[in-house]
Amino acid sequence: MARRLMVQGVTSGAGKTTLTAALCRHFRRQGVDVAPFKAQNVSLNSFVTSDGKEMAMSQAYQAWACGLEPSSDMNPILIKPKGNGQCQVVLRGRPWRDLGPGESTPRVIGTLREEVLEAFRDNALGREMLLIEGMGSPVEMNLKEKDVSNMWLAKATRSPVLLVGDIEKGGVFAGIYGTYLLMDEEERDLLKGFVINRFRGDASILGKGIEELESRMDMPCLGVLPLVRFSAPAEDSLDMTRRPAGATGSGDMRQRWMLELDRLLEKWEGAWDLEKVSRLV
Amino acid sequence: MINPTEQVPDDSEENYSKYAEVLRSQMARGIIGGNHECPYFPCHHPDQDCTFCYCPLYPCEDTALGEFVTSGRTGGKVWSCQKCMWMHRGDVASSLMVIMPEVGPRGLDRQTRSRLKRDLEARHRKRAKAIMVLGATSGAGKSLLVAALCRAFRERGLRVAPFKSQNMSLNSMVTADGEEIARIQDLQARAAGTRPRGDLNPILLKPKGGVTSQVIVEGRPYKDLTVQEYYSDFVPNEAPAIIARNLDRLMRMNDVVVIEGAGSPAEINLRGRDVANMYVAKLAKADCLLAVNIDWGGAFAYAIGTLMLLDEEERKLFKGVLINNMCPGGGSLGESLELVKATTGVPVLAVLPHVPSLYLPVEDSMDLDQRPGGAGSTIVAVIRLPMISNFTDFDALSLEEGVSVIYANAPEELETADAIILPGTKNSVQDLLWLRESGVASAILAKAGKVPVLGICGGYQMLGRRISDVHGLEGEGPKEMDGLGLIDAVTHFDSYDKRTVQVSGSLAIGGGEVRGYEIHMGRTEGSEEPLFMLDPDGRAEGSWNREGNVMGTYLHGAFDLPAFRRLFLSMVEHRHEAESAGMDHEAKIDSSLDRLAALVEEHLDLDALLRGDPDGP
Repeated sequence: MARRLMVQGVTSGAGKTTLTAALCRHFRRQGVDVAPFKAQNVSLNSFVTSDGKEMAMSQAYQAWACGLEPSSDMNPILIKPKGNGQCQVVLRGRPWRDLGPGESTPRVIGTLREEVLEAFRDNALGREMLLIEGMGSPVEMNLKEKDVSNMWLAKATRSPVLLVGDIEKGGVFAGIYGTYLLMDEEERDLLKGFVINRFRGDASILGKGIEELESRMDMPCLGVLPLVRFSAPAEDSLDMTRRPAGATGSGDMRQRWMLELDRLLEKWEGAWDLEKVSRLV
Repeated sequence: MINPTEQVPDDSEENYSKYAEVLRSQMARGIIGGNHECPYFPCHHPDQDCTFCYCPLYPCEDTALGEFVTSGRTGGKVWSCQKCMWMHRGDVASSLMVIMPEVGPRGLDRQTRSRLKRDLEARHRKRAKAIMVLGATSGAGKSLLVAALCRAFRERGLRVAPFKSQNMSLNSMVTADGEEIARIQDLQARAAGTRPRGDLNPILLKPKGGVTSQVIVEGRPYKDLTVQEYYSDFVPNEAPAIIARNLDRLMRMNDVVVIEGAGSPAEINLRGRDVANMYVAKLAKADCLLAVNIDWGGAFAYAIGTLMLLDEEERKLFKGVLINNMCPGGGSLGESLELVKATTGVPVLAVLPHVPSLYLPVEDSMDLDQRPGGAGSTIVAVIRLPMISNFTDFDALSLEEGVSVIYANAPEELETADAIILPGTKNSVQDLLWLRESGVASAILAKAGKVPVLGICGGYQMLGRRISDVHGLEGEGPKEMDGLGLIDAVTHFDSYDKRTVQVSGSLAIGGGEVRGYEIHMGRTEGSEEPLFMLDPDGRAEGSWNREGNVMGTYLHGAFDLPAFRRLFLSMVEHRHEAESAGMDHEAKIDSSLDRLAALVEEHLDLDALLRGDPDGP
């Protein structure tokens, strides 16, 4: 089976999508045959694949970062909110059904989980590596039974997990530590390290906090990534507000995104330990 | 009048009768409020009540109020009331006036004094109850929760003050006394019905770009410090005394002090150097509430992580967690709520819903993206300078019918603008450089003459012909710089001096009331027509290049009253006069504060909170 690593976030908007895309790009540049995977995405920004299937824009973007043609197996469930609590569920590229509040029954979840695992296997087939993105926070206790994209998936696919926290909103140590505390034993075993994202200034000021967290959680901090304003496809409304205003200019937006991703990797160089990350995979 | 610190009567019969006479005359005079004619005013605090200049309870010998000191004259121990604010609270003085008995020839005897004091104590706290709201992150809703609690306690007839020991913000305002505080503390003071003063926010950091901040102490500019200098020198050596004296005074003057933390209390890399969170909580012996924003997800992780990174003693100060910003239909949280208590010992006291369309200013520039800009077809583009400050100036504009305020930092974004505003900045010189490099300067010049252009404060300086900073007061950068040249005016930075003043006046043409505040270094001289005439002497302020449709002013908050808003919008072509409603900015703020107060009343047991037992039986 392909090597794999899952990126989970302390919150929505912690930087999972970008981090996953950057890792995709990095490994691709190392010559690894890598593909992205996100079991479920909630987004109105979708992309249509060459075979006419619908998937989230973010995974299409990550596919391009891997030098691949996007495939709906990379994002088997796409939830498109329709208002009034109703969502259209796109399953493996095709509209499946609408779900309202309370309609995510165990049976529905069971179906979704089967489809996710099947897409995961198809996606992994013949590949060296899969980089998996989680969704939201992995420790929403009220959502655990319905989880199809976080720790359930990590356990089902025995994938090691890297946790990313956003320092820009403050309290990042608490967010990371609290996420760890809310995991059960098996989940903590899969959690291999954490990354602090969107840092501004001199990272040495964090030293003592990082050391304390490493020792409390018995795992390494694999990077303190500086805040870089760059353009990437907007995943949801949260990202819309972060998107730097500015011209798209002329030219192919996809090429621009890849150039931006390369620029991001350059800026992050030395800020994370990619050697150690690749040993986790 | 006699210096109140010297009001100590000696034991002679003559002194007793003199003191009794003074007490009688005080009562005959009635409640007088602050005695601004007195040469010693304010001997305690600018908001003191002077009715009982001589305390009828003297000497109470209650160490919660005063203290024994060594007399300069006799060398013996005398009772000093210097720190006592109790008798100088208007409400306490009024209560005492009602229950004061006849004063005998030797004043009041000890028994009468202690009876009066007991009666007063039954009605008025000698020291405020301290309640502190901390956040698991920035943007957890601390500021507005503090404002909501202030308003709710105020509604119950209590004397309330907000307090934040250290604030970092570029949105400051100037109080009536010329003191500079964060705009959000001004809002909280308004919610509390107390006068905004520097003591509510005794340390204010205003980032200047790079690692340097201007440090404002008790409302006055103190000095510029780097992050390093601030934490290694200012915090250990100076901050504790500043915080302690201001907090102590507020605790003595109020029934409740609602304290706001800063950022997260669990920034464990700053252990021992954070004077904005648990340090203040311990100092005030505050009952603490932890606010967590549920909107981003991971709220319970943040709540539990925050509490578990604190030490036992700190954690015990927490009376509850407030889950904030819950969206309707957000599902059930049942199990998670229990889990917080089980893990940390701290209960979740309330799940507060998201409150839509509040009309309140926001805290700092990180929130710029989330500001509602209005949804009208008239687009006012505010240039998003890298060091933009006082963007609360545009709240009133964005509320106008038919107006959208956008924050633009690229030339193309100005293409559709119907009006352009260059806002205030913490660093005019650096931001002017950015303006040129980004191409925004050229875009403004291309639009000038076609749409109205307004510069406020630093933006005003940039619109002029030249900025001269020969002493490098704005930091590294050119000493002399050409401005955009849209206004015939020149700005000089010639001393490390800051003008902070509230002003009022009228439009120079056509009249109409204007009000605002100035916060700036540098002075601007020019030959254009003035924009405003300021009270009391009709001083001309601002510049108006009428041909070019370009205006500049130092007044922040100038849009808050309708007159200037109307003038500015009237210069936008195609805009119908009917669209411009004369909405009352302040009434709108008050109604939002009332809504928030009603929300915390509904979701929290405030009586229990005041008792210190919010999770009680």
